[in-house]
Amino acid sequence: MRSIHALLISLLLACSSAVRAEIVVVTSTRSGPIELSREQAEKLYLGRSTTLGDGTPVNLVDLPNGSTRDEFYVKLTGKNPTQIQAYWSRIVFTGRASPPKEASSIAEARQWLTDTPNIIGYLDRSDATPGLRILLRLP
Amino acid sequence: MKHLAAILLATLQIQAGAALATEIASPSPFSVSGFGTLGAVRTDKDTRAFRSNTTQSSGASTEFNFSVDSVLGLQGSYKFNSALDVTLQSVVRKDSSDSYDPTLTFAFLRVHATPALTLRAGRMRTPFFLYSDSLNLNYASPWVRPPVEVYSLNPFANLDGLDAFYRLPVGDMELELHAYGGRSDLDARESSGNLTRIRGIKASLSDTRLTLQANFAKANLAMYWNGPTFISLGHQLIATGNGQILDQITGSGSPTTFISTSFQYDDDRLLLIGEYAARNVDRFSASATGWYLTSGYRFGPLTPFITFARQHQVATDNAANTGNPSADTALRVLNAARNKAQTSVAAGMRWDVRRNLALKAQLERIQPGPDGLGILVSKAVMDSLNPGGPVHVLSLTADFVF
Repeated sequence: MRSIHALLISLLLACSSAVRAEIVVVTSTRSGPIELSREQAEKLYLGRSTTLGDGTPVNLVDLPNGSTRDEFYVKLTGKNPTQIQAYWSRIVFTGRASPPKEASSIAEARQWLTDTPNIIGYLDRSDATPGLRILLRLP
Repeated sequence: MKHLAAILLATLQIQAGAALATEIASPSPFSVSGFGTLGAVRTDKDTRAFRSNTTQSSGASTEFNFSVDSVLGLQGSYKFNSALDVTLQSVVRKDSSDSYDPTLTFAFLRVHATPALTLRAGRMRTPFFLYSDSLNLNYASPWVRPPVEVYSLNPFANLDGLDAFYRLPVGDMELELHAYGGRSDLDARESSGNLTRIRGIKASLSDTRLTLQANFAKANLAMYWNGPTFISLGHQLIATGNGQILDQITGSGSPTTFISTSFQYDDDRLLLIGEYAARNVDRFSASATGWYLTSGYRFGPLTPFITFARQHQVATDNAANTGNPSADTALRVLNAARNKAQTSVAAGMRWDVRRNLALKAQLERIQPGPDGLGILVSKAVMDSLNPGGPVHVLSLTADFVF
């Protein structure tokens, strides 16, 4: 009985921490002096823009399908995973814009983001490392 | 001096970075993706065949048919740098000769000239309609297929030429101006044709929920009819001294204008889509208008929807009044066979099963005519003059992206 109780509590904690996890939009510390507003980040990740506010072109990184990716899109754009898939399919297959480049793992995304200047991506706050600069926080 | 040293140091660092470039992990500039539909469709009338567009020569009758809506598309792109990329897309679906040869639907170079201006050259889609960019991508729309009452008004889907997009903010919305020019070739049922000197402009005003569009295009139309109806008519017109009428029905250089306007509202629950289009031709085809209105509502993964649609013929290219009764009858048959007028109502459901798969079921009631069978075809030529009562069509599809 006690172990079930403990299990329930830890499950609850796991759920609440998953919901409350902070997601950060990051770039390499090697990038230029990038500034990113929430509005601009939304425009970039909805394919409505390919540059920063000052006209600097940037490339985007997506995480593989999973909870961090889903949470990022819900927080930034208000769209759930199905809606975001339908939205981006339309943009990509109509030849309007290229989608964010999908990494095969969180580690690969972090490697790209650390090594390559002027690309932007997002990570769970706890996955961010010193080679990365935080541009935007999505609590 | 200190500054100079700093600059030198920075330069060295950049060069060192460049030297290490091969070891740096970067996203690949290649991307490949695809989409498709597996569809089954049947009707309740064995003397009529239902098609999903006017280029198809055959269609579905009272047995489930898998060729009408099924389609597979593959797309690849390569990014040379952040300003220049190339996109290729090829689609396989049943064509006018009932074969499945892959067709090239995209092959263009794109330049992001400025943050507001994008230029493309090569093969694109003609942007005549709200969904003309995504004609084969049924995954992106609520219905099984774009309403034929509007989309059959201009079946020329490929644009070989140039276009430019210019975006500017208007209040809280974004205005996009899309100017385009080029040519388009098409093989359809018992005919082939082309549009040359296409020049058009499309304006889209949108925010996250609402999109408003207006499009205006001009072109020169060429049409060549080659079905048995037309061939026997040609002989008959020449034999009765009415050969000049053929110049109204077939040939090249007919000035054509095409206008359309549309709206889409999507607040993630309620979905409203409406579109109106008008084709105005001088010769070689009929002038016609069409509209549809779709309303849907999302209940989680389920989106039930309903569509009302109508196409109406405004004028034919010939009046069928030669004074020779048999020639007039043959002309009326040809005119009716080219007339796509019809009225329909459709109810359906989209089910988003997984993030890359949607299942759809749609039932529609099509009343063809007056004069003509609409999107339907019949083996009996004279049926075009007697369209008869409504035809019910049941469609089941699985739309996917990968």
